Amino acid sequence: MARIGVFICHCGTNIAGTVDIPTVVEAAQNMPMVVYAVDSKYNCSEPGQAAIRDAILENRLNRVVVAACSPWMHEKTFRKAVASAGLNPYLAEMANIREHNSWVHNDKQAATDKAIEIIKMAVAKVSRHEELFPKALPITKRALVVGGGIAGIQTALDIANAGHPVVLAEREPSIGGRMSQLDKTFPTLDCSSCILTPKMVDVMQHPNIKLMTYTELEQVEGFVGNFKVTLRQKARKVDHAKCTACGLCWQKCPEKVDSEFDLNLGKRTAIYIPFPQAVPPRPVIDTANCRYQKYLDFTAEGREGKAPPKCGICEKICPVGAIDWEETDELITEEFGAIVAATGYKPFEPGGYTELGKGKFADVITGLELERMMSPAGPFNGEVKRPSNGEHPKEVVFITCVGSRDKQRGRTYCSKVCCMYIAKHAIMLKSHDPEVNCYVFNMDVRTVSKDYEEFYEQAQLSGATYIRGKVSKIRQEGDQLIVRGEDTLLGEIIEVPADMVVLAVGMEHSEGAAELAQKLHISYDVNGFFVEAHPKLRPVETRSDGIFLAGACLGPRDIPETVSQGSGAAAKVCGLLSQDFLTTDPLVSVIDKVKCAGCLLCQDICPFSAIDSETLRDGRTVSVVNESICKGCGLCVAACRFGAANLHGFTQEQLLAEVLALWE
Amino acid sequence: MGVEFEPRIVGFLCNWCSYAGADMAGTSRISYPPNLRVIRVPCSGRVDPILIVKSFQMGADGVLVAGCHPGDCHYAEGNYYARRRFAMLRPFLEYLGIEGDRFRVEWVSASEGRKFSEVVSSFTNQLTELGPRATGAAV
Amino acid sequence: MVNEVLSPYREAVDAVIEAGGEALRQCYQCGLCTGTCPWNYLKKFSSRSLIHQAQLGTADFESEETWTCVTCRACVARCPREVAIIDIMKALRSIIAEMGAGYMPESLRVTLKNIAGAGNPLGEPAENRHQWAGDRKYPEQSELLYVPCCVSAYDPVARRIAQATAAVLDQVGVPFGVANEPERCCGESVRKAGNESLFAALAQHNIETFSRQGAGRLLTSSPHCYHTFLNEYPDLGGRFDVLHYTQYLAGLLREGKLKFGKELNIKVTYHDPCYLGRHNGVYDDPRELLRGIPGIELVEMDDYGPDSICCGGGGGRIWQENVKGERLSDLRLDQALATGADVLAVACPYCLLNFEDGVLTTSASIQVKDITELVREAL
Ligand SMILES: Cc1cc2nc3c(=O)[nH]c(=O)nc-3n(C[C@H](O)[C@H](O)[C@H](O)COP(=O)(O)OP(=O)(O)OC[C@H]3O[C@@H](n4cnc5c(N)ncnc54)[C@H](O)[C@@H]3O)c2cc1C
Repeated sequence: MARIGVFICHCGTNIAGTVDIPTVVEAAQNMPMVVYAVDSKYNCSEPGQAAIRDAILENRLNRVVVAACSPWMHEKTFRKAVASAGLNPYLAEMANIREHNSWVHNDKQAATDKAIEIIKMAVAKVSRHEELFPKALPITKRALVVGGGIAGIQTALDIANAGHPVVLAEREPSIGGRMSQLDKTFPTLDCSSCILTPKMVDVMQHPNIKLMTYTELEQVEGFVGNFKVTLRQKARKVDHAKCTACGLCWQKCPEKVDSEFDLNLGKRTAIYIPFPQAVPPRPVIDTANCRYQKYLDFTAEGREGKAPPKCGICEKICPVGAIDWEETDELITEEFGAIVAATGYKPFEPGGYTELGKGKFADVITGLELERMMSPAGPFNGEVKRPSNGEHPKEVVFITCVGSRDKQRGRTYCSKVCCMYIAKHAIMLKSHDPEVNCYVFNMDVRTVSKDYEEFYEQAQLSGATYIRGKVSKIRQEGDQLIVRGEDTLLGEIIEVPADMVVLAVGMEHSEGAAELAQKLHISYDVNGFFVEAHPKLRPVETRSDGIFLAGACLGPRDIPETVSQGSGAAAKVCGLLSQDFLTTDPLVSVIDKVKCAGCLLCQDICPFSAIDSETLRDGRTVSVVNESICKGCGLCVAACRFGAANLHGFTQEQLLAEVLALWE
Repeated sequence: MGVEFEPRIVGFLCNWCSYAGADMAGTSRISYPPNLRVIRVPCSGRVDPILIVKSFQMGADGVLVAGCHPGDCHYAEGNYYARRRFAMLRPFLEYLGIEGDRFRVEWVSASEGRKFSEVVSSFTNQLTELGPRATGAAV
Repeated sequence: MVNEVLSPYREAVDAVIEAGGEALRQCYQCGLCTGTCPWNYLKKFSSRSLIHQAQLGTADFESEETWTCVTCRACVARCPREVAIIDIMKALRSIIAEMGAGYMPESLRVTLKNIAGAGNPLGEPAENRHQWAGDRKYPEQSELLYVPCCVSAYDPVARRIAQATAAVLDQVGVPFGVANEPERCCGESVRKAGNESLFAALAQHNIETFSRQGAGRLLTSSPHCYHTFLNEYPDLGGRFDVLHYTQYLAGLLREGKLKFGKELNIKVTYHDPCYLGRHNGVYDDPRELLRGIPGIELVEMDDYGPDSICCGGGGGRIWQENVKGERLSDLRLDQALATGADVLAVACPYCLLNFEDGVLTTSASIQVKDITELVREAL
């Protein structure tokens, strides 16, 4: 039998000013199952809480209603107070007679009547409360980082340095991401590989990091602390355990194809490492282009006609016998406590801007292509040359916002890095060749970080001319390009002759971002970027517990911001992995196996995929709630046609009791 | 003149948006009529139609369900389910003899104290005008 | 000079917005519209400045520039903020047209008067509308109605279009009619000139006329009529299946009903009319039709398809004088000549008139023909 105590708060005059407290106390004393009712100046104060504790003990109360403020304010406080008397904390309920009553009504009679009814509902509800216990779940103390750009590298290193094992999965043959394609980096102009390569090597050598390149995420099961992930190690056809990275194979391979890493400005071989500093420095065979593989496919399929040449030079030349034609994709399943997605971005594809002539004019290039040209390790050995004729350009025009801030043919957002990388390019071109003149057609120059505005000024001082306006047309005249647009400050059309035009293309979501999001059960926005749990307060978390985000997969950002996020995500992961157990909120759904008809409708509805099915011994299939994933929304309860689902803390009986109490 | 009719309203408010919105009306001291009795639920998607029907059966003059704005649901999509479910409930209520106007679904965010008070005021006024429930309804 | 402190001319801004220029506020002044606008190859015309003045409420209603825009949609198709620039131009004009204040070019004023009075911009009597058809008799009721556009109905040069179209339809054996009670101007340029009330009256008349005759399908020669019937009449209750003749003939060609008997052996370049191309996305049908004609080698100009340059006749400009050296058609003729084509093919009566005029005044060695004429020649 419930023995309920009701504690009515004056909250100074906040409640007592509008509600007639003695009347309420008297009414409460007469409510069913209430054995004790009392008022207090401030229930939440130390003495107020002590009074509740004492009353529970003295009157052997087993349920408590605190009629005071909003549960948002003090539910935790009173649960603790109740627990200090040895009662299960979930046997307390609050009646909100302040925010929902005394503060919004002036009529004393009405407010007093309403307060009584609110308490009546709380009493009815609390009488149906049960003891609830948080569950403790073990945590797999291991993290998976997906994507090995600077974001993923930083995250993996920070987690590993904190002592937790990490798997870093990267789909390309090397880690490094876009940053490894850059020449120098703003605003300090330090060389990208000089600051990145040591970190890549750290990753390779770190005892806590297992590096898996050429690997993609196949499937994710489980939940926070207990993920089961299947990874696909794509066939490399090279046994990396044997390979010593001597480099003979890629020096001798006769098949030359366009290099993706060099954005097709240079060539690579069919067995290759994408760039000299690649980590791991071991090659993979691009089977779509390998001659021997083509021969193998030809003979295996028993096709007619002339067989392709049987090459196999790499195999013959390899001193350790690492080439393995038999190797196939391998699926590897591992367990993790936390997952970080750090899958970055891709540069905007500018083909839709027909007036800019990318693809039509060889000397119209993108910013990232210029990075590859300027890189000393790049296809042009650091010499900037006009693709059309190999000459050094003297007049260079930059065009900002290609793909950015454009609702119609691009993306609505500002890509954040372009203004800065153009300033960088202008400074660098001038230092490569003092005779170069740079013109920057821009919209608004955005330089909002530490030392950025000064960097822009430096670009202007180096001689770059900034023209405010968007380019409307590029045409060829002789061997030059004429770049035309309105100078909006002059209000005149101007034309600038150029040897080379650089398009400052923006940043877009990476290839396959949506598919990855679906596998991880995280959301992505209209632009394909992953969505953080809260844009300000939870910037590296997702709404799926245990899954975190870092870097440009969240939206355009530069390296400093990306690295901070990598460390931020690592801190969140370490916070999780440093716990021994995960305590779960007991206010979750339960499904009554006897009532469950096995329609599994609740599984479709559950926003968190928290409902599994189970086959009972009698052969029936029923739904079961995974309490560690369930967030307690109660959608399944409202949807269940058989009354099998219920939600602790907001059970059907409790809510009905509240309704009925109003008419008792 | 007799006593003026005071409608009794049951309100199911989602914890994250609308309950907090009602709190916000309180903290901002925006007053509204005292006719609403609030039942806190985690999500508007938790509101089982039975609870609504039961409220009317007991004698409620109006039932309000308030949740997060579409797209803002704390549980990502609970309010979408709520919306669809209640769209189907309304004709059923009318079949039971309960005017559609007695059942309201509103989106009130945690910062919309003003909107909350307006919703309660206008609903109360509307129900007052409608007058007491007709006898002879199925519930 | 006195420095004027800008006081917000709220009423002026509101008037533009009220007249349909809501898009005003979205503009972020990048200037892409100005750079894209073909006028700037000939003279200064900063649409961006115009929009900025409208934003500030300092639009100059006495300026000629209000009437410069040819509504070719090149800027709209590129604007990064999707500003409906044509609507802003229209709004500025309608303030003048409806309130009678500010500057309006005399020739346009006369044209509008003609349309209001006679029902066509040339001020010709309504009863002469079908003179182009000669003695040919048309049925009382017809599902398929050919609506040739005032210019191709009355203009002695552009009549070729109407005559060729009718001839082609007859040869293929498609039953069709023309409006028993002569239709009036579709109202496209009237609307672009800002005269909404006149537009509504014209549309009303035409919708009733077409409906009375049981027309289900309208076949147009002019992309301007096409655009108006297709996109603007439905709002006024006129729901017809609207086709530009290039679409219709391309359809017949695909179905094998349109068969050619002759080889033309000429090199042709095609000029996309703004109201067919950019306004309505019809780029392929005219080209398919041209390629289907035996012996035509189709070559493209530097700017074609969505990047095509206006002939200068849109937005009511066809009724205004353009001084020599300020004609968009000459710009386009240069591009056509550069292809080495024998024939510049068009699909719009305005384009035909403008280019014929250009050929005459510049003695360019290229023939201007409407596609329907080429089709007729090859039958
Ligand atoms: C032209 C240009 C110049 C720039 N210059 C500068 C500069 O000077 N200074 C500066 O601060 N910033 C600069 N930036 C921005 C900089 O490139 C980014 O801030 C940075 O690269 C973001 O790092 P990230 O790790 O988030 O993404 P990325 O570098 O894109 O790395 C993502 C990684 O994830 C991998 N990946 C993607 N999807 C998957 C998947 N499904 N499974 C496994 N792996 C996956 C990718 O292969 C890649 O290795 C520049 C950008 C451009 C375009």
